[in-house]
Amino acid sequence: MSSKKIEELKKRRQIEIRKKKDQKTYALLVLALWMILLLTFIYTDYQYTSVWIIGLLIGITLQRTRFCFTAGFRDPVLVGSTSILKAIILGLIISTIGFAFIQYFAIGGKEIVIANVPGNIYPVGIHTAVGAVIFGIGMVIAGGCVSGTVMRIGEGFILQIVVMVGIIIGTILGASSFKFWDLNVIKDTKEIYLPSFVGLPLATILQIIALVGLYILADWYHKKNNIML
Amino acid sequence: MKNLEKIYKKPWPYWIGGIILGILNIFLLLFVGKSMRMSTGFLYWGSYILDKIGVDLDSWYYFSQFDDVFRNNESLINNFYTVIIIAAIIGSLFSILLASEFKVKKVKSKKQLFFGLFGGILMGYGTRIAFGCNLGAFFSAIPSLSLHGWVFGIFMFVGAYIGSKILIKFIL
Repeated sequence: MSSKKIEELKKRRQIEIRKKKDQKTYALLVLALWMILLLTFIYTDYQYTSVWIIGLLIGITLQRTRFCFTAGFRDPVLVGSTSILKAIILGLIISTIGFAFIQYFAIGGKEIVIANVPGNIYPVGIHTAVGAVIFGIGMVIAGGCVSGTVMRIGEGFILQIVVMVGIIIGTILGASSFKFWDLNVIKDTKEIYLPSFVGLPLATILQIIALVGLYILADWYHKKNNIML
Repeated sequence: MKNLEKIYKKPWPYWIGGIILGILNIFLLLFVGKSMRMSTGFLYWGSYILDKIGVDLDSWYYFSQFDDVFRNNESLINNFYTVIIIAAIIGSLFSILLASEFKVKKVKSKKQLFFGLFGGILMGYGTRIAFGCNLGAFFSAIPSLSLHGWVFGIFMFVGAYIGSKILIKFIL
């Protein structure tokens, strides 16, 4: 056979593969299902419409960028790369600014009552450290954090369904032993909201400076240690 | 058209992901009143199953401490967490189908299965005593200007370091 013919065959085969593997129709079907549920939410459970839309965008973003908090925290140790960690810090800087504005208007110049401040503010103490270490070990061993697990289930990984079952079992075990932790550790700790000490504007500025500092540090570490360069 | 195809076929850089997720988190807090979080949803799914098989959850200390979490008509299965988790799974599925890269990926070995399950259990347990996962106790907690987010982040790093050592020793 002449090389021309081989090239032609190759091309035809590639087109065949492409045709076979095109999944756009399924994508549109999935989107249609999502839209039907969106309409259902609009008419029956309006409170969920924004979560439903933002959740979809979170899934798309996680999948397109292969965003993985586990890799963000593991790769600096394993391969010296901080590309994802830097992206995480970037996200933190942006949401710090947005959250600060939301909290600023919620507080409205009055005295700070932590229970009324929007966002995730919880007691901090030994339990935070212990829980985070356990969580960190778990996510590296399982090969993905909670958002990574959710994203990979969508991608078709059976393993991550197993990880999800593990997370469900783990949360149940955690909740059933919560009494021990609460009575011995958590009870004596309280929420520490940084603006309580220096005010919201200064706390925000200081946190952004700290995050930018970390970003620069991560960038320097990447250039020094990344074995992929 | 070519450019559009590039957007849904090619992976996006990490930094774009960081920026979009940061913005989406602001939108969540602004429009929903809750920041990005998921792990509690898995507890509720598990509790739903336990409730169905007759376990008395009301006697659990945990639920007596957090009995005011549900808003209008919310339940163990019908709540913010279920909606955000399912929506994110659908988003990921939609995105990978659009790129024509979807494939069911089987579990490779028993070892992988064991470490997946065990790692998942550790993660789940950690979220209960530290009040959240990588989203709730870190990615949403630090922007909330709560000290526990920073503590969680630092010690998640310690955990990831220990986990990496275990990974190198036993799994790789």
